[in-house]
Amino acid sequence: MKKENLADEKLSALLREPRLSPSLPPRFQENVWRRIEDAEAPAKSSVTWLEAFVALILRPRFAYATLAALMLAGISLGAYSGAQSARHEAEARYVASVAPNPLR
Amino acid sequence: MNRPLVILLGVLMLGAAVFAGSYFAARHTCATVMSSTDDLSWLRTEFHLSDAAMARVRQLHEGYLPQCMKMCAKLAAKKAEVTDVLANGTNVTVGVQQKLTELGELRAQCQAQMLQHFIAVSRAMPPEEGRRYLAEMERLTLGFHEEIEQTMDMSAKP
Repeated sequence: MKKENLADEKLSALLREPRLSPSLPPRFQENVWRRIEDAEAPAKSSVTWLEAFVALILRPRFAYATLAALMLAGISLGAYSGAQSARHEAEARYVASVAPNPLR
Repeated sequence: MNRPLVILLGVLMLGAAVFAGSYFAARHTCATVMSSTDDLSWLRTEFHLSDAAMARVRQLHEGYLPQCMKMCAKLAAKKAEVTDVLANGTNVTVGVQQKLTELGELRAQCQAQMLQHFIAVSRAMPPEEGRRYLAEMERLTLGFHEEIEQTMDMSAKP
């Protein structure tokens, strides 16, 4: 019992002794708060611009509109080209009938 | 390769296929629908001819074709003669010159006859369309020689 009291007194004396605390790194507090804020902020989206673009073009409304526009452009240009081709063919047929190659 | 890029390439390829498919289908359909076996179909559409004008033009055309065939046969025979004469020697002899002159004269006769036909056809059309037809036919038939002559003229200049 006496021994225990002696140990407590020694421990208390040790605890009462002044201790050197290590110096904190510069702007320690500010860095701590920044890390806390970063941790509490919502997670940043990892979606890139390409993924965003792909998501946009795969939207049904956009996709159908684009397909319709491409088909319309293809049909218009094809019809124009076909008409020109038929016209040239008809012209060549007439010219060949009235002016065979030896005459030209 | 990452997934969005693969999707984008697939979408681009699909778009190109849709455009190309539409283009070629429309082109083929339009060319087939508008094509005709009638030699004179071009005149009707290009010069906006009425049925009456078309009938007159057709009559002139059918009258001209036998003459044209006859001249073509004469030209073919003359060309064969020129080829024979050229095959028999290595020089431009008097005989070769004579045959070439005859061939040239025959060609000139053919062209004159052809122009006469074009003038007759142009008169069967409304005046404005007739003028346009004549200019177009001269360009399509005689323009070829003019182009060659112009090229020769340019190359002759120092």
